[in-house]
Amino acid sequence: MKEMSKKHTAGPGSGRRNGDGNPLGTNSEIARKLKQYYDDLVSDQVPDRFAQLLSQLEKAEPAQKKD
Amino acid sequence: MAAVSQSFKTELLGAIPSLRAFAVSLTQNADKADDLVQETLVKAWDKHESFQPGTNLKAWLFTILRNEFYSQMRKRGREVQDSDGIMTARLAVHPAQHGQLDLKDFRGALEQLPEDQREAIILIGASGFSYEEAAEICGCAVGTIKSRVSRARARLQEILKISGEDEFGPDAISAQVTGSNAA
Repeated sequence: MKEMSKKHTAGPGSGRRNGDGNPLGTNSEIARKLKQYYDDLVSDQVPDRFAQLLSQLEKAEPAQKKD
Repeated sequence: MAAVSQSFKTELLGAIPSLRAFAVSLTQNADKADDLVQETLVKAWDKHESFQPGTNLKAWLFTILRNEFYSQMRKRGREVQDSDGIMTARLAVHPAQHGQLDLKDFRGALEQLPEDQREAIILIGASGFSYEEAAEICGCAVGTIKSRVSRARARLQEILKISGEDEFGPDAISAQVTGSNAA
């Protein structure tokens, strides 16, 4: 696995080379649709199962050996 | 192992909407996407110590999610992408403010892209990552991401029959990459 091989730059978009936003072209049809598509997904309501999962993980934790 | 900090947990929670969006973009299926997000959260929790505070947690999580997706896909022999309409049905429940038909067309077009192109254009065009971050997430060169993005864009234009996209103007990089077919 090659996770976290190197450090990720801090902050989204910090490595973008031309500061003026979307590399797909701000006014392009594709860029706008892509944003719509994605924003729709992001704003979808998050099911409870995830908060529950994190609580479970948290509860399970003290039971584990501390290094 | 050291306890998971409260702030790590809070950040994980906060990243869930983005993770789900990325997962749906990869799997094209809402149920599989949520399973993938669940796996990702468990993995992230287990290996929270390998996250370097101060670096981009979202990028770190996307990397885990993506690795998980491809390893599952390899295991299952690539039946990951089924367009059985589950996603479409779910999304139909949320009447969008913006042109719904349009978006449906767009979704259909996006589905037709090869995974590597789709993920590249999503990471760059929607998730807000830089080329460098996207390259890191996908474990490939920056130039590879750039060319995938431009191929994805060209393909989408073709499928959606969008013309006149050379009025892209401001973006020198993409223009350079697509230059030849931007007639």
